[in-house]
Amino acid sequence: MRILRFTFILCLLATISYGQAEQEKKLKPKRTDNYIHMRGFRAGFDVTRPFQDLWTKGNRYGTEVSVDMELWPNWFPVFETGYDAMRIKTNYIDYKSNGNYSRVGFDYNFLQAENKEDKDIFFVGFRYSFALSRQQVDYYLIDSYWGLENGRFGNQNYFAHWGEFMIGIKGEILHNFYMGWTIRGKVNFNHKELELPPVYFIPGYGKAEKGFNLDFTYSVYYNLPWDFRKSVKAKE
Amino acid sequence: MKRLFYLILLLTIVTACKEVFEAPPQALLQASFYHSTTKRTMSPIVTVMGIGSDSLLYNEEIASSVLLPLAKTDTSHFMIWIDSKSDSISFIYTTTQKYASMESGFYYEYKLRSVGFSQNRIDSVEIKDSLVTTKWNENIKIYIHPLSVSNN
Repeated sequence: MRILRFTFILCLLATISYGQAEQEKKLKPKRTDNYIHMRGFRAGFDVTRPFQDLWTKGNRYGTEVSVDMELWPNWFPVFETGYDAMRIKTNYIDYKSNGNYSRVGFDYNFLQAENKEDKDIFFVGFRYSFALSRQQVDYYLIDSYWGLENGRFGNQNYFAHWGEFMIGIKGEILHNFYMGWTIRGKVNFNHKELELPPVYFIPGYGKAEKGFNLDFTYSVYYNLPWDFRKSVKAKE
Repeated sequence: MKRLFYLILLLTIVTACKEVFEAPPQALLQASFYHSTTKRTMSPIVTVMGIGSDSLLYNEEIASSVLLPLAKTDTSHFMIWIDSKSDSISFIYTTTQKYASMESGFYYEYKLRSVGFSQNRIDSVEIKDSLVTTKWNENIKIYIHPLSVSNN
């Protein structure tokens, strides 16, 4: 996670310094690719979510899909939604949490297209994210000199929301097929305060006690080549 | 190829290290021994056993203080042998359940209300800090009589 964090900070610094260099020149040539590059919708599947268990403490599994489209030249409204589950089972506790989450936001493409067929993008994006989730402790054990004490906490439902900012790429590897990654920082806005136990896991976000989480995604996409603009024009 | 090897190595280390879970912490009452007249610390030979338990907490150990685990119920009783003279000591307290983390679990903390004791070797007991937490510190001072010449 530390390597990811450093990579993210480096990329962020590079982006900032790039922006400053542009300001110094004070000559910002207008984009020549001010047109819609990608027609229709693009549906995606995040291939990293089922393997989160590899780098998360406890057993975490999930699935996530997304849809985006180029509504205005280089501006891509995005909707992402998924399911996330966490289980921690040790000698002292058996904890379960699962729930659904969604994100809405947009990506802005910085990469200038070299030709009409060039649909690769390098983007920064922002998301508003929220999750509805539940957790329970099936058993806990307190081992002391006087013997074993055990108990459980029943189902607790909670809502949480957070913001995400990211950089990433999406490249067309085959006609209408894309692959891409994002590195994203997640800032916790708020979650329901529970008495005991407190909220431990937020689907789509991670550990609730952390105010900031860093994440990496890798997705595959298919562009449904349905040009809704043409359809609208045809109706008119 | 080398990069792939390092990536696999890194993943192996990450997956090998990630499943280490610690036991929850324990709040223990610390009782220190003092001379009843000079008020200086003492290190007698101590044996301690919880009443209702069949195992010894301390077995003829030279100690200036002992750490006592309290039961979940609001009272705990101990037999304590100080230089082979026995006393009983009882603690009355309130118990609060605490959350350590979801990786390690839960534990109890206590607030001491009162201490009762017999006076064979113990002269008096003073509550210094009534909160028994996982940050072990001196909770009570046990003032003990000096050994009389006849006992030597």
